Amino acid sequence: MLRVIDFGRVTPLRSQTLWHAVAYGVSAGQPATLSFARPSGPYVCLDYLRDAAEVDGEFCRSRGLPVYRRMVGGGPVYLDDRQLFFQICVPASAVSPSRASALRWLLEPAVAAFRAAGIAARLDDDGEICMGDQKICGHGAGQIEDAVVVCGNLIEAFDHECATSVLALPDPVQRAETLRLMRRYVTATPASPAVFCASLADAYASALGLRAGPGVLSRAELASAADLDDRFSTAEWLAGPGRASRPGRQGRQVKIRAGIWTFAAQTGSGARVMASVVKGRLDRVALTAPGLNGQARLAERALAGAPVSAAADVLSRFGGPGRELAAALAGAEGRL
Amino acid sequence: MTDPAPSGTGPLQDVRGFALALDRSYQPATHMWVKLTGPGRVRIGMDPVGIETSGTLAQLSLPEPGADLTAGRPFGQLEAVKFVGPLTSPVSGTVLAVNPAAAADPGLVERDPFGDGWLIGAELADPAGLDALLADPAEITSWYAARITEYRLSGAIAE
Repeated sequence: MLRVIDFGRVTPLRSQTLWHAVAYGVSAGQPATLSFARPSGPYVCLDYLRDAAEVDGEFCRSRGLPVYRRMVGGGPVYLDDRQLFFQICVPASAVSPSRASALRWLLEPAVAAFRAAGIAARLDDDGEICMGDQKICGHGAGQIEDAVVVCGNLIEAFDHECATSVLALPDPVQRAETLRLMRRYVTATPASPAVFCASLADAYASALGLRAGPGVLSRAELASAADLDDRFSTAEWLAGPGRASRPGRQGRQVKIRAGIWTFAAQTGSGARVMASVVKGRLDRVALTAPGLNGQARLAERALAGAPVSAAADVLSRFGGPGRELAAALAGAEGRL
Repeated sequence: MTDPAPSGTGPLQDVRGFALALDRSYQPATHMWVKLTGPGRVRIGMDPVGIETSGTLAQLSLPEPGADLTAGRPFGQLEAVKFVGPLTSPVSGTVLAVNPAAAADPGLVERDPFGDGWLIGAELADPAGLDALLADPAEITSWYAARITEYRLSGAIAE
């Protein structure tokens, strides 16, 4: 049986702890579970292991946005009550040992549910649920003990400004570029939540070869959720491990969706580079480097549209200052 | 605490298209390897089949030196594109060192899994902990070949 649990509208904290509790439950033998939750208010959430410095704490405090940490799931994201979250949780043994294959397999039913709700969704080559080239579902996946969980959302409306503002982006040029790309490549798809949820249950039941039926948390899962409420609220947990997410790397990188990101870094001499990348090519570049002797705009034009892999060659034409900027740009992780 | 051992790798074997080092022990369930670097001291990494099934590594989260390791429990995370999975310790002990090059460039783990792509150095809580791992070269090779075949048949790794 595919256990289907609709938690309804829950506090931001519970919107995280409930699905963790389900993961522990499934790991301990509870059936595969599809759950739904809508946070009652806006908040920010990031992976326990990620650096708190990735979040603009001052902005979050000014807006009264709580910042929570989940056990898995990557960088900081903005969530609010116009996002309906779903979580599919299955035993790790039920999916392919290939994580990429497992993830695609667990996302296909979500695509079917979007389509049943009237949205022309597709799963693109980067593993994003898209409409055209715009991401319409913020999803993440991970393994907690012996359960694999994929979380996603139906975005009824999306606050691009807030989603950008919660990110610590000291470089205003990068902030503006991140917002531009977020507006361009992330969009809401208002659809009937009831149709979407029903279709999701049907699609996952079919994919898993199970019969969907309403369920509730077990006593152990309820206790686990209560424990997690406490644990996720402690100062120690909220602080995280207190180290850089990417030790040894300089610069600030933000992923807008798979294959699309911005990056900003400063060199030892104070020169700065900001670049946005779309599908492996530099989309926009902003250089501030007195050593380029007025050739910064020329270098920016030479870089725009070039493959990221060619950036070092292009910048090397601009002598030592160019090579210094290339070294800074090399701090970006091209695999995002 | 220090981890002075070099990352030297013995000769690699090719097993059905995947490299395999026979100078260390393996935990089959997690595809983690353990190599003795001194009395009671080891290095830990991931074998190429485990890396292949994880997908393209985007980020590694590794513990700090001094952290406790428990066999069968996560000591860190690896983030491939859109999937965060646990790095499970094959032994119990204490972390002596973390490979800063791998943390900064997860691609190094893919390029040189048995050498410069090691993950952590550790001091064993009990040297007998290694007894639970596969150590006999013939057994390692047999397990590795069977796992590759199984994964290919199921489509988990490419032919």
